[in-house]
Amino acid sequence: MIQVLFVVLFGAVAIWFAYKVFTTASMMRSALALLFSMTAVGAMFLALQAEFLGVLQIMMMASEMVVMALFMIMYMMNPGGLAAMEMTHQKRLSIAVAVVAGLLAVGAALFGGWPLATEAVAAPAGQTRELGLEIMERSMLVFETAGVTILVAMIATTALAIRRPA
Amino acid sequence: MSVLVVSLIVAAVLFAIGLYGALSQTNLVMIMMGVELMLAGAMLNVVAFWRYLHPEAYSGQMFVLVLMTVMALEMAVGFGVATARFRSRGSVEMEEAVELRG
Repeated sequence: MIQVLFVVLFGAVAIWFAYKVFTTASMMRSALALLFSMTAVGAMFLALQAEFLGVLQIMMMASEMVVMALFMIMYMMNPGGLAAMEMTHQKRLSIAVAVVAGLLAVGAALFGGWPLATEAVAAPAGQTRELGLEIMERSMLVFETAGVTILVAMIATTALAIRRPA
Repeated sequence: MSVLVVSLIVAAVLFAIGLYGALSQTNLVMIMMGVELMLAGAMLNVVAFWRYLHPEAYSGQMFVLVLMTVMALEMAVGFGVATARFRSRGSVEMEEAVELRG
């Protein structure tokens, strides 16, 4: 019962701040709203007993949003990004597509007929151990591929962003 | 209503809001925020499925790690594109990026 309460509470917080990302008056506030929304998603992970992933999500999002806020200040027309501005196009089409996609996903959630598992999850330390074993055994190739992809993206991004002679 | 269904509904709403943002925003950084929200919805789905359908299969958690990697890469590459765009055009407004139009 308490778990349901926390999942609903953090879910509502995540949705509210996600809504504020695109309705608030400035991009700086949007970045902060996204940070709070992502943190609420991390808290949902904790409520769903995925402790390691929850802590990872909160830590990662905190640093990611700081970087995002810095870039916003750098690339905004108004320094600090605190002035109100309108930056949307094809609004009606976007709302229609989002509503249809959302309703389809909610319908799938409600009428999916999910066969719920009955067994309890392992304690947090046990979960982390099992995840470590998964990474180092069965999913090692996937993990290594993710690592190499990060390296490639780092090199590509640096090459993309580097100043070129005119 | 089970916790799984509640989590899936929250994820669906996050995905829909993110989709709206990715389609409607004209600024590259705001478009990236929309994509981040969509990925967050997908991650929440995976965690809920792992917890309530297959808590014994840790490949579910592994998949969340991969999704987090995708989120970080999306941000890094997006900011790389934003930097290149800002250097060449002085703006990251995507309304002005029409050179690739066929």
